[in-house]
Amino acid sequence: MSLLSLEAVSVCVDDRIIVRDVSLNINPGELHVIMGPNGAGKSTLLAAIMGLSHVRVCGGRILFNAVDITHFPSYERAKLGISLAHQVTPTFRGVRFLEVAKAISSRFNTDWRTLASLLNVEDLLLRDLFSGFSGGERKRAELYLALLQNPRVALLDEPDSGVDIDTLRVLAELIDYIVFTQGTSVILVTHLGPILEKLPRITRAHIMVEGAIVYSGDPSHVIPVISKHGYTRGLEVFGGEGGWS
Amino acid sequence: MEVRVGGAEIEKALSKPSPFGIDIDVSKYVVEEPSVEEFKALELEESVRRASTRLGFNGIRPSYIQVDQTALYTLLEKRLRGYGVTVIPLRIALEKTDLARRIAWRLVDPRSDKYTALAYLKGGELGYFIYVPPNVKVDIPIYTCLVLKLERRAQLAHNVVYVDEGSEAHVVTGCAVPHGVREGLHVGITEFYVSKGARLTFSMIHAWSPGVHVRPRTAVYVEEGGEYVGYYITYNPLQSIQMYPVTSLQARAKAYSASVIVGLGSGDYDVGAKIVLEGSGASGEVVSRTLGLDESRITARAEIVGRARDSRGHIECLGLLVSEKSSITAHPQIKSENPGSTLSHEAAIGRISREELEYLMSRGFTEDEAKSIIVRGFMKVDVPGLPEVVRRHVDRIVGTISKLAMG
Repeated sequence: MSLLSLEAVSVCVDDRIIVRDVSLNINPGELHVIMGPNGAGKSTLLAAIMGLSHVRVCGGRILFNAVDITHFPSYERAKLGISLAHQVTPTFRGVRFLEVAKAISSRFNTDWRTLASLLNVEDLLLRDLFSGFSGGERKRAELYLALLQNPRVALLDEPDSGVDIDTLRVLAELIDYIVFTQGTSVILVTHLGPILEKLPRITRAHIMVEGAIVYSGDPSHVIPVISKHGYTRGLEVFGGEGGWS
Repeated sequence: MEVRVGGAEIEKALSKPSPFGIDIDVSKYVVEEPSVEEFKALELEESVRRASTRLGFNGIRPSYIQVDQTALYTLLEKRLRGYGVTVIPLRIALEKTDLARRIAWRLVDPRSDKYTALAYLKGGELGYFIYVPPNVKVDIPIYTCLVLKLERRAQLAHNVVYVDEGSEAHVVTGCAVPHGVREGLHVGITEFYVSKGARLTFSMIHAWSPGVHVRPRTAVYVEEGGEYVGYYITYNPLQSIQMYPVTSLQARAKAYSASVIVGLGSGDYDVGAKIVLEGSGASGEVVSRTLGLDESRITARAEIVGRARDSRGHIECLGLLVSEKSSITAHPQIKSENPGSTLSHEAAIGRISREELEYLMSRGFTEDEAKSIIVRGFMKVDVPGLPEVVRRHVDRIVGTISKLAMG
């Protein structure tokens, strides 16, 4: 039985269908990568799994540990063990980063200090959350808060965009550690980027185009092809090969 | 400044309104005959105990309590005596000490407005006098408490604090009414002298009721290398409050002023602080956090004047409007009179955004919990140098504030 299952999930924003009939099965300790061009619906899919209110599941269902969570509010999903590192984060004017970190660590009984050191966010903790943070600082801070929930499934929405090479290495090592040492499952959404080169143990790679997962396969096969040819030509290369999702 | 004016000039000021805040007809309030009494903590009547409980003063024994126009003072606790600290009613201090006579009404002009004039003419010099001798670090807070117990009374207090050279002290003053008092006027004149190299933190906590008008009048003088930290917090309904303490900093002196204002009911809040950088190397910061609930109207003022080289000042006025019927106005003002002075300010008023709530809900919090985290975080100001016991005290109050914001 999968930890997280998406059964023909479609997702609407207002009255528009953004994601169509996506099915995915994530087992404990697996690292899945979803790649795709801008506007493919990757972030919308993660938002639907997290239960954010601006999106609506308009078809199919989402199961977590065999429980149908399709209509659970986001805070219930978080309590079950789903965590999202948002691609876009709001700026909390007047609210210290540390206050939010302490509230989360208290809720999930985790240690805010150790992870802060690991993700190098200690110097940011006394600042207003996400206020005036650089791109890299924002990404590290967001990943820090997502992981502070000690999730069973972490949904990471482009944690690698806009970060420097050193931070990228730290992120990759951390993702590798939480998946393969702690047994956390991760869905990593990324444009095809250098982070994939630093993640040698990806379980499965999925390509998402125009709201649908159009190909799923072995990452050692998928990533080099997409990297070389891009999405349009890459998908032609895969042609009728097995692995369609 | 020394008062060298006749009574007539001060009498005339009895009709002079304050430039800020709503005007109050002070003649509506009865001023009782001032009196001074010794007391034992156990003798405090129930209503006064209840008022101090509203301030979070449970288990705390204040060194000075003023109930309406009666000053109650007690023998200092042993540790404060050991430091050589004096806490007595100002009225007694004016009889007994040259220092009190020399410095009282030097920083606040009784002709400033009708409230200062009223306190000068009719207050009977009730209020506390605190003296901290040179080169002692008093690590336990000195608590004082002012309670307005009777209906339609004016409570007039005049406080003078002198921290001598190289010393450090922490004063916490709570001002409150017991539940049930509907109308009243509280006027508190406070003059702080922070000597060369000395340090003073002053925390003022208010717990009034919807019919009470409050007019604190505070001035601070910080000598070379001294430091003053002021922390003001009000989180219960009141009719109106207007205060604008002024701090004067000499060379290399520092000041930090924080105001945490929770606007409730139909209260009118006009609160701020002014810092004047008189000496070279002086630095000051004015911070305010305002929370607009119910139908409250809040005006947050702040001004820093740079008059000396190498002086620095910064203002931060942040407001959070929770109720659509409330309003917040911020007036940050910086004025430089010396090219070597660096001044800056920022002001922002916002609301709890849907994005912020959604974000925190995705981190495992219900909507109410998310609001509470935002309000608690917003109202929590890291005031430098407060003793741990005071910090815990105000943290508890901030916790109460976040519950208030939830309704």
